[in-house]
Formats: sequence, C-alpha cells, structure tokens
Amino acid sequence: MPSRLYQWVDQRLRLKPLEQTLLNEPIPGGASWNYVFGSATLFLFGLQALTGMFLMLYYVPATDHAYDTVQYIQQEVWGGWFIRGLHHWGASGIMVAIGLHMLQVFFDGAYKPPREMMWIIGVMLLALMLGFGFTGYLLPWDQNAYWATQVGINMVGAVPLIGDFIVRVLRAGETLGALTLSRFFAIHVAFLPAAIVMGIMLHLFILRRVGPAGPHDERRAQQGSETFYPRQVYMDAVVMFGVFLVISTLAVLVEFPLADKADPSDHSFVPVPEWYFLFHYQLLKYAPGALGPIATWLLPALFFTGLLLLPFIDRSPERHPSSRPVMVTAGLGFLVIVFTLLGISLQHLYAVPKQDPSLARGIALVEQFKCRTCHRIHGDGANIAPDLSYVADRRPDRNWHIQHFKDPASVSPGSFMPKFPLNDQQINDLTTYMLTLKSG
Amino acid sequence: MEEGLSTPVGTRRSFFVKTTMVLSSLIGISLAIPFIGYVISPALRRRTQDWVALGKVDQLPIDEPQALDYLMTVKDGWQKSQISKGTWAVKHADGQVTVYSPICPHLGCGYRWDRQDRLFKCPCHGSVYDINGAVQAGPAPRPLDTLPSKVENGELYVMYQEFKSGLSKKVEL
Repeated sequence: MPSRLYQWVDQRLRLKPLEQTLLNEPIPGGASWNYVFGSATLFLFGLQALTGMFLMLYYVPATDHAYDTVQYIQQEVWGGWFIRGLHHWGASGIMVAIGLHMLQVFFDGAYKPPREMMWIIGVMLLALMLGFGFTGYLLPWDQNAYWATQVGINMVGAVPLIGDFIVRVLRAGETLGALTLSRFFAIHVAFLPAAIVMGIMLHLFILRRVGPAGPHDERRAQQGSETFYPRQVYMDAVVMFGVFLVISTLAVLVEFPLADKADPSDHSFVPVPEWYFLFHYQLLKYAPGALGPIATWLLPALFFTGLLLLPFIDRSPERHPSSRPVMVTAGLGFLVIVFTLLGISLQHLYAVPKQDPSLARGIALVEQFKCRTCHRIHGDGANIAPDLSYVADRRPDRNWHIQHFKDPASVSPGSFMPKFPLNDQQINDLTTYMLTLKSG
Repeated sequence: MEEGLSTPVGTRRSFFVKTTMVLSSLIGISLAIPFIGYVISPALRRRTQDWVALGKVDQLPIDEPQALDYLMTVKDGWQKSQISKGTWAVKHADGQVTVYSPICPHLGCGYRWDRQDRLFKCPCHGSVYDINGAVQAGPAPRPLDTLPSKVENGELYVMYQEFKSGLSKKVEL
C-alpha cells in the first residue's frame, strides 16, 4: 500500500530524481561512524524544536506567571516533566554533539579548502546555539535563572565603550525584569530559530555542493565511495536512537527541579551556570581586578574570531593529523585547559554542601526554635526583632554570638529575646549558621 | 547515479534499511505517546467541585427569589483565582430551597427576577420562566437549570455547575 501511494505521488511529482540526489550522495571512502556527529546534532536540534513547541502550549513569558506555568508543566500536565526533561537534557546533549562534531572536523582537517564556508557557517551555528542556551535559561524565572542571567548580562557589560549600551538593550532597561523576560522569550522561540534554520540549510547546502570530506587518509579515500543510503543512514539512525535513549533516561532518572521563584531582592542566592559555561565561569576566578575584562569578553571574542578564521590561519592543504603538529597540539591544549577548568569548577560546586555539617544543623535549629517568629532571614519571617539576613556583617565575632545565645541581654542590653534552652553544641551550630549570613 | 564500490546490496542492504526504519519508528512512538498525553490531558480532566456556603436558610424570604452571590476559588489551568458567582435561590412554603444557575439555558445570558410580574425574564432574547423554572414564553429550550444544593445546620450549600446552552436537555459542561 505505501508503495502504491508512493507510485501515485511519484507519477505526478517525479520524486525519483529527488530521491537519487538525497540518498545516493557518494561518500568518499565509504560510510563511517566518524560521520555521525552532524546528524546527531541535527536530530537533537529537531528534538529541541519539537519539545520546545510543546512546552509553549502552557508556558507564559511574563514575570508574574512564568514560574507558575513551568511548575504547572512540571507537576500537573500529563508527561510535562518528561517533555521538560527532554528539552533540558537535549540542550546539554546538543552541546556535546556540536563539540564532538567540531573536534572530528578539526582533527580530520575537514575545514580546509573547499569547505571553509561550511566551517564558518558551523561556527556561527555554535554561537547561535549558545544564544539558545543563554536565553532559554532565564525562561523558568526561578532564582537560578534570574541570578545566572544577571551575571551573564553583566559580563557583556565588561566590553569597553559599547558594553553598557548592549547590557541595556539586552535587559530592555535598567533592571532585569518583565521586558527582559519577554525579549529573551521572543529571541529563544522566534528570532534564533529563524536564524539557525537558515544557517543549517546553508550548512547542508554547502555540504551537498562540495560533498563530504571523506577520510584524511589518501589511500582509503581512493578505494572508492559508497552511497549515503543505506549504510550511513543506518549508522546515523543507530546513533540517533542511542542519543535518544540517553536523553530520555536522563529525563526520567535525573530530576531537574525548579529553584524558588526569582526574587530580585535576595542577593544571597549563588547562581550556577549550565555546565557548558562552567569552564568560563571558573576562568573568571583567575582574572582578578584589571585582568577581569580579558577573561570576561576578550578571550571569548578572540576564541570565536580564531575559530571563524581557522581555515585562513591554517592554510596548508595537509589533512592528516600527524602532518599538522601545531594545529593538533593547539587543539589538544585547548581541550586540556577546558576540561581542567570544568573539573576544578565541578569539584568546587560539589564540595560546598559537604563543607560543614554544623551549618546544616544550625539551619535546622532555626526552624526548630521558630526563630522566624520574630526574625526575618532573606525575606522570610516576621519583622519584630532584627533582620538576620546579613547579621555576620554587623557581628562577625563568633564569641559574641555564643555569649548572645547564652544570655541575650548580657551583650545586647535591653534585648527582649528569651534565653533559649540550648546546649553547647546547639549554640555552636547556630553560631556557624549566623556567621554565614553575610553579603560578601 | 552509478553505485559506489562498497554500497551494500541484497540482504545486507535490507538489514540496514529495516534497522533504520525500526529505530526511527521507536523514537517516533516514544515521543508521540507523551506528546499526545501532554496535549489532551487538560481536556480529559473533570472539574472537581466542592460545596460552597451561600448563607443561612432562615434569612431567605418564602417564595421570593433572592440573588445570592458567593466567592469561590477557581483553578483555571495554572491560575487560581477567587471569583464571584451568582445564583438565584427560592425558598418554598415547605421550607425546601431550590437554587438556580444564574445562566439562561437558551444562550447563556444572565436573567432577572421581575417582582411585579413574578417571573424570571431574560433580557437578551425574551425567554420567560415562572418561579418553578418552567418556560412561560420565548425561545428557551428547557426550564431553568437547578444546581445541586443541601442544607446543613441551617446553612445553605450549593455546588457550582455549568450546563450547555441551547439544548432541550440539561448537559453539564
């Protein structure tokens, strides 16, 4: 039945020549597992587009509703948590796929003539994809979204002369707010998709005009070629299926909870960027003072310029990695730096919660003794006794707190805070917590 | 186009073709199921309704319909809002209370109680009902819609419902 339908359509539209062009593209040296990364990236992009469209059924890009709608998707819509999980992990997957795709092209020397334009468009696609990651991160409007975007936008401000202006344009004003959210949303779901679809089409158009690069090994390339269909298509399908399995397993097993709703007044929140921005996040820590702008924008700008110009910097026609020691060393060096920074950053991130069990006990004691009945801590609690949000700024002395918990009036004359029945360990734990409450 | 040297043929070729089709179908199905459920689930969800207090039965005059409003929390998708709903309550001589939906069963306008004529009148298309909800005139296809109600400890409770308009039978939305 499908074949009869196909014949019927074919008689009218003459699909055979089109089929020939699409499927019988010759691949020099034959199909290979090395060539699957581009298809994997394209597949993940399709998955992002699809899941994104479905998320838009319920999402509302306004500061008073965005968080609630994402929570609604996550908790109440059937399958919503899964579709959001696919979109979240798909975004990470696409970065991995692009990374592998670029490494394969780089080490295989496939960016060399006549494929320079394909490489340049590819670098632009990478930039657009990072744009997707940055704009999409704000949309759930939780604490992490708000503060990570705040940091990201401020980094643009380090660009001399025009930085301040760009920051205002990105935010649509003085502060990150309703207008920022709606423009990030529009960029994420309309402008970037339009741009990237054109870029992808151009990328593929160039691929079909110049043909795939094939192996860097001359002898293998000379053995002849194989058509794209069916073996390369099969390899692509196997990899896409594997990628889909990984992404959906992550979506099912690793929950991606929302943080609290964005609170612009809570400066105590420490945002963490997505892992693919982490190496840069770590790099910023090594650039104190005047060196700061170098890390925030000069290095990234140089990196992207270098990538764009790569086919013109590396002009030798030689493709085999062993004949290109400088480029290969540069590439490996870059990888070592990125992964070292990423490793250090991850180590720091996961070390924080393990640091001090005393702190966790102190936080629990604040709940147990209902300190918030009188004190406010970061916007939560009554305003009867002093706000403790930044108490360590005023009272950095450990002994003062210990004495104060034992007998409040002894160090703070006139205090109406009762003497709570606390043992020494409890006083110590509470003091540990109090000393973390500072603005720095 | 001439086939390349190593392009697979025969059973080997059909293995690649079939595997490709099976794998892509698997991806398609595992996406289609959550996508379909995600889209249609709000359509399948029934509204759950609670009893809402309208007021003391004692305070209702006999055979004189009263417009009773109440506040209820409505979940509209991800939004929760307090909205005011109206009803028409009639206490009969035997103490029984009938509560009518305030929406005309004809096309959904709000009707009023005319004290002089002792009739419910809908201003939109001229439907007229008596105190028992029966149609007296106009295009209305059915009597006024009654809402489930009960009296507990002298307090009148009602359960809010809406019905499809224009039908000769009462069908809940």
